[in-house]
Amino acid sequence: MSLRTFILGIAATFGIAWLAVVVVPFFKMRDLAPATFDEAADGQTGVFIAKRAGRVAGGAEVYAENGCYLCHTQVVRPTYAGNDLFRPDWGGNAADETRGDTRRETTPYDYEGEAFAQVGVMRLGPDLSNLAVRVPTYVAEGQTPEDWLYKHLYNPRSIPALWDSTCPSHPFLFSKRTSYGPPSDGALDVETRDGYEVVPGPDAKALVSYLLSLKKDQAVPASLNFAPKKTEGEN
Amino acid sequence: MSSALYNTTDEDVLLRAGIDRSLRHPVMFFLTSGAAWLAVSILLGVIASAKVHWPSLLAGCPFLTYGRVFPAHMNALIYGWGMQAAFAVILWLTARLTRKECTAVGTILTAGHIWNLGVTLGVVGILSGHGTGMPWMEFPVFAWPVLIFSYAAIMVWPFIQFRVRPEGHVYISQWYLLAAVIWFPWVYITANVFLHCLQGSPLMAAGVNAWFRSAMIFLFFTPVALGTAYYLAPKVTGRPVFSYTLAKLGFWTLAVIAPWAGMQKLTGAPIPYFLPYVGGAATAMLFVPAAAAGVNTLRTILSNKETLSSSPALRFTTAGMGSLILLGAAAVFLNLPGSTLPRTQFSLSGYGFDILALYGFFTLTMFGATYFIVPRVTRREWLSRRLIKTHFLFSVYGTIFVALVAIFGGLLQGGSQEDFTKPWATGAAKDAYPYALTITVSWALILFSNIFFFIHLTFMWLRLGRRSSHPTLLVFSHGGSPHGEEGDIDNVGPASAH
Repeated sequence: MSLRTFILGIAATFGIAWLAVVVVPFFKMRDLAPATFDEAADGQTGVFIAKRAGRVAGGAEVYAENGCYLCHTQVVRPTYAGNDLFRPDWGGNAADETRGDTRRETTPYDYEGEAFAQVGVMRLGPDLSNLAVRVPTYVAEGQTPEDWLYKHLYNPRSIPALWDSTCPSHPFLFSKRTSYGPPSDGALDVETRDGYEVVPGPDAKALVSYLLSLKKDQAVPASLNFAPKKTEGEN
Repeated sequence: MSSALYNTTDEDVLLRAGIDRSLRHPVMFFLTSGAAWLAVSILLGVIASAKVHWPSLLAGCPFLTYGRVFPAHMNALIYGWGMQAAFAVILWLTARLTRKECTAVGTILTAGHIWNLGVTLGVVGILSGHGTGMPWMEFPVFAWPVLIFSYAAIMVWPFIQFRVRPEGHVYISQWYLLAAVIWFPWVYITANVFLHCLQGSPLMAAGVNAWFRSAMIFLFFTPVALGTAYYLAPKVTGRPVFSYTLAKLGFWTLAVIAPWAGMQKLTGAPIPYFLPYVGGAATAMLFVPAAAAGVNTLRTILSNKETLSSSPALRFTTAGMGSLILLGAAAVFLNLPGSTLPRTQFSLSGYGFDILALYGFFTLTMFGATYFIVPRVTRREWLSRRLIKTHFLFSVYGTIFVALVAIFGGLLQGGSQEDFTKPWATGAAKDAYPYALTITVSWALILFSNIFFFIHLTFMWLRLGRRSSHPTLLVFSHGGSPHGEEGDIDNVGPASAH
C-alpha cells in the first residue's frame, strides 16, 4: 500500500461519515423550517414562534462556566429513549389548571437564544427543562421563585427540604456587605455574621433569570408534540 | 532483550543509537511534562470526585467548585497527558521505523513548550471561570488555535520522515500512527470551527461535541495505543505478530466504523433520528476492531510468557490490551437502545467508559512504551524495580476500580433514574454516593503511584539512571543484581541496540 492509496483510503472512510453525520446535518439543522399550526389539530393557524423571556445568553454563559451541565440535563426524552415524560414534573405540568396535562418532549425550538444546547452529560441532579414550572411549587409563603433559587445557589443545604443535597454551593456568585439597619431589597434569607448581609452578584442574577426561562409551557403545534398517553405515569 | 534479533550489524546499532540520541530531549520533554499533567489531572479528579459525596469540601473556593474542577481534570488528562504522551511515542516510533534521525529537535521542543503554555492557560481559564461549557472542549476559545498550530509544528515531522523513508515494507504500527496524525487535526478543527466559528443549531453543536468526544478516543488515542502495542509486543517478545492479516483487518474496520460513532449520547434529543442510531450501532460495532487488535497483540505477547512476567513494558501493554477488549465489550453492552442506553446515557457509566478508554487502555499502553523507550533515549536504566512494580499494581487495580465501579454503579444509578415511581430526591439523587466514594479512593491510590512515576521519569531525564548494559527486569532474586554485572553502556553494544 502506498502513502497515496492510504491517504485516499482514510480520507474516503472518514470523509463519508464526516459528511453524513457532521457536516450535512449541521447545515440542515441550521436552516430549520418554521413549524406551523394546523387548523384541524391545533385550533389555530399561523407560524409557531418560540418565546422565551429572561437573560438567556448571559445566564447560559454563567451556567456553562460553572459546569452546571455536568450534573443537570436539559432534555426530556421521548418514551422510546427514557422515562423522563412519566415523571410528573419533568416534561411540564401534569395538572395545569387551565390546559390539563402539558407534559411534552423537547423540541428543536426549545433552545431558543442559546449557542450550545446544554443537553448535559450526567444526571447527578434532576433535569432542568421545566425548572421554572416546578420552582413556584416549592416556594414558601411570601417568597418568590427568585428568592428560592438564590438561596439554592448560595447554599443548597440551607433549604430544609434539601438538607442532604450534594449540589455545590456557589457563594462566590454573591457578595457579602455591611448591612445598615433593616436588610436591603434582595438580601438573602441566610445566616451571616451580625451586621452583614448577602446580596446576589451580577452572575447570580443572570443565572437565575436564565433558570427561570427554563419552562416549556408554550403551546406547540401538534406536529411537534408527540406526547403519548401519560395515564400510566400519573402518580 | 530478544535473542532472535542479535544478527544485527554494527551499522544498525549505530543508526539506532543515533536516532535515540537525536530524540532524547523531545521524547523526555513530552513524557515528563505529560506525567506532571497526569498527576495534576488526577489530583483534580480526586477533588472533583470527593465533592460528589462531600459537597462542603473546599466549598468557599470558587476555583475549586465542582463545575470547574471536573472539566479541568478531563482536559488536563486529555491535552496535558494524553496528547503529549502520544507525541513522544509517535516521534520515537516513527523515527525508529523509518530509520531516520530526527532533524527538527529545536522546532519540536519550541512547539512543545507552546503546547504546554496553551494547556496551562486553558486549565487556568477553566478554573477561573472562563470555560466554554462544551465537554472536553472547555478551554477558553483562544486555546484551540494555539494547540492546533503547535500540534502542526510537532506532528508534521513524523509525516515528513515517513515521506522520505527508505523503500520497503511499511509495518502496521506506522499506518496506525500516521492515521492518528491525520485524523486528530481533522476532528479537532471540525469540532472547534463548527462550535466556535459557525452559527448553527444549538442542538447540532451539542451533537458535534458528542461526536468529537468519541472521535478523540477512537480516532486518536486508540490508533496511537494500537500502533505502540503492535510495535512493543513483537519487539520485546522476539516473536512475529500472531496474524498480520488480522492486524490490517483491525485497522480498516476501525477506520470505517469509528467516524460514525458518538451521537448516541444525544438519543432522545431532537436531532435527526438516524444520528443517535447510527452512533449507537457504530459504537457497538467497534467491538470488532477492538477485539481484533486486542486478541492479536495478546496472542503475540502470550507466545513468550517468561518475557511477559519480567518485562515492565510488556506487563503494562498486556494490561492496556486487556482493557481494550473490555472497552470493546463495554461499547456493545452500554449502548443498546431500549435496554442499557437509557440507563447509561446520563449516568456514571459514561465517565467509566471514558476512563476505561483514556486510562485503562491508552495510558497503561503509554506507560508500557515509556518503560521501553526511556532507557534507550537516555542510555540509562530505571532506578528501581520496586517503583515500577508499585506503579503497575496501583495503576491497574486503581483503573479497574474507577472504571468498573463507574460502569456498573452507573447502570444501577441509571436504573433509579429511570424508575419514575420514586421521587428524584430520595431515589436517583442518592444512588451515586457509594460509587463516588469508591472512585475517590481509587483515584487517590493512582495519584500516589503517579507522583512517583513522575519523579522516576525526572531522574531518568537528568540521566541519573543506573549505568548498566542490562534492561530492568521485574524478576525476583536473593542478593546480587538481577540484571547481571553493572557495566558502562556508553560504548555501543548489543544491549543498547534494541
